[in-house]
Amino acid sequence: MLKRKKTKGKKRPIAVTVIGAAIVVLFIVRLYQVFKPLYDMGLFQLGMVGRQFYTSQGLTGMGWAIIDSASYFILAIGLVIVLIGFLRMRRWSWVMLMTWVGISMVVGLVDYFYVGQPNYVIMASDVVIAFALSQVEVQRIFGIRTDISELLS
Amino acid sequence: MNSSLDRPTAPVGTPDIDLLRQFEPVVRFTKGEQFFPTDVDRYVAECSLWAHYPDGREEIVVKQGELTLDKLVQQRPAVFGTVRFLRFIETLTLSEAAIALTEQAQLRRKLGNYFKVGMGRLARGGFLPRLADALFSLSFLLRGKVSSATAAAAELAFNRMHAEDEKYVYYGRVVRQNGWTVLQYWYFYCYNSWRSGFHGVNDHESDWEMVNLYLYEDEGELVPEWAAYASHDFHGDDLRRRWDDLQELDFVDGHPVIYAGAGSHASYFRPGEYQAEVTLPLPSWVNGITRAMNKFWTEVLDQPAGNPFRIPFVDFARGDGMKVGQGEKHAWSPELIDESTLWVSQYRGLWGLFARDPISGENAPAGPMYNRDGSPRGSWYDPLGFAGLDKVPPPFQALGYLQKSCDEVAARQTELDNLIPKKAGDLQELGIKLKGMEGNPHLAKQYAMLEKKSNALADEVKNLRRENSENTALLQGLTQRLERMKAGMQDDPRAHVRHLAVPVLAARVRFGRAAETWAAISLSLMLFAIAALVFFAPSFIWAGLVIIMILFVLAESILRGAFVETMTRITLLLALVSAFILFIHFWDIIVVGGLIALGVFLMWQRLRELTG
Repeated sequence: MLKRKKTKGKKRPIAVTVIGAAIVVLFIVRLYQVFKPLYDMGLFQLGMVGRQFYTSQGLTGMGWAIIDSASYFILAIGLVIVLIGFLRMRRWSWVMLMTWVGISMVVGLVDYFYVGQPNYVIMASDVVIAFALSQVEVQRIFGIRTDISELLS
Repeated sequence: MNSSLDRPTAPVGTPDIDLLRQFEPVVRFTKGEQFFPTDVDRYVAECSLWAHYPDGREEIVVKQGELTLDKLVQQRPAVFGTVRFLRFIETLTLSEAAIALTEQAQLRRKLGNYFKVGMGRLARGGFLPRLADALFSLSFLLRGKVSSATAAAAELAFNRMHAEDEKYVYYGRVVRQNGWTVLQYWYFYCYNSWRSGFHGVNDHESDWEMVNLYLYEDEGELVPEWAAYASHDFHGDDLRRRWDDLQELDFVDGHPVIYAGAGSHASYFRPGEYQAEVTLPLPSWVNGITRAMNKFWTEVLDQPAGNPFRIPFVDFARGDGMKVGQGEKHAWSPELIDESTLWVSQYRGLWGLFARDPISGENAPAGPMYNRDGSPRGSWYDPLGFAGLDKVPPPFQALGYLQKSCDEVAARQTELDNLIPKKAGDLQELGIKLKGMEGNPHLAKQYAMLEKKSNALADEVKNLRRENSENTALLQGLTQRLERMKAGMQDDPRAHVRHLAVPVLAARVRFGRAAETWAAISLSLMLFAIAALVFFAPSFIWAGLVIIMILFVLAESILRGAFVETMTRITLLLALVSAFILFIHFWDIIVVGGLIALGVFLMWQRLRELTG
């Protein structure tokens, strides 16, 4: 039987583990957000039979709930993909995650200043991820920041 | 390309004017340059003389057409704070300004003297520096400013003078200081059109530029060793290049070549486009906040430093335009000056319009001998210090100084070689005495005195040994250098240069054309977007402004190939704001959580220590 070789060379710093944990937290929050609108509309209690999703006036409450749920589902799947890339220390996952966190924080801040009810758990996770991603050590591991000495060697 | 590798020499005793002529630089201008070195007599004849008083009043002293160099230097007592200045172009009416601008365009068409900007300076900076640049331009509404029409009228006036008598003048001065013979070349221009003609920092009437050549005496001949060109942002040692530094200096038959900045007339050793930076004049409290934030950004967050308030300007010194000097179509008309030249020493005022610009960028300069405030100009009274040569002896003296230093250190070493064993022996004698006194309580007083003496001697021996050790290393270094010099070996010609002026590479931007177009239209697009925001969603004005700004900065970063760096900066800024909000709302939980985490960490550490 063939044994999988362990990845050598790159040592995973603590910040990467912290970011991984924060992504898991975000994933759980998003998963909750996938089911909540459907639960609120009574989908699990009453089932889908006989439900209308669209009328001549536009989407019904159930239709909006499914769209909300689907978008959160896509976000959750995206997080899983980023998490896998991140744990394998791929450059694209760092860029994607930083961009994601940036957009998420813009949404969170607009929510805070204009609606008044941001999701503080997501905000906190975003802050932790942003600071952890900006660590020099993490940036170096993902090939974002390169030292002159590294370039010369 | 250098056409001459051998240094030309001149016999000691050569008349000053011939000496200046023999080494006079060739000046190469950028295509599109409108002003060339001219003589002050004709310029002054075109000017009026004015006085600006501390109460803000301005008074004409001598009218245009009546002013001569003799009248300029007449002593005129005035109250403290009075600024005397020349005025090359009188105040223009609206119709005169329109005529000047039209005729300027016609003149340029006739001469075919156009400047092609190429990759402009705006594309070289980022979006925020461009925004700062717009603020800088707006600052001219508050600061004094020389108008574009004045620049046009100056160009026309200069061309008229030039057509009457085409003459390219430099004012030369020869100074002998500390074994060096300094040839000082002063170039006078009627106008500095850097801002109006070449997208630069400032415009002002009149411009004085200067270049120094440093010669030393060797077997009855004067040999050139250094050339120093006055330039923006560089001082002292950074200004000079050694004569044999052929990667930096160009020559035409032994004459050094100067590449003059378009409009600014600053002097460069190599042709190209140089990036100068200007910091936006901000109130001190804003500068203080920026400094503190920069410190936090770089030291706490460990992010690369950056200053959005620095505006990049390009000084174009391409050398593809008119050329004056040896081997060129146009020759120099030199004139000797020194302290006895009255217009040099007796006129302390400005040589052009006093625009009342508080940061002086648009005010005309004073003459070769003085600063704008009338104080003596350093480059005039200390031409060696100007290029950091005050600490450098000429080569023939350097060898003597070095030999003398070697001899002095060697003599001291011989002295130490004798002194140290003697003192060390004395110390050992004292040690033996002290040892013999131990165990005899009645000798306590003598023991204490002797111990003090012994300690002092031990310190002395230690210091002598340290001096001996240091001198050994020093003597080694000096001897090696002496041997190198005797063998005719020279140092790296640029060893003294800390900041080297290097032309910017033409292709610094990833998508050149796209970035340039974006640079030209982005600010306007942003204003349109803000207008749409105010019209369609006024309740979201602040969030909208921030989002628009972020989107524009990100778009710019993609064009410049700096998306990751820019996005990291923006996300970190957002993270700081979010962290602040979280702290405001959950400070109690954060403090409690922090204390618990600290307690757990300490306990874990102690328990690990306990269990080994």
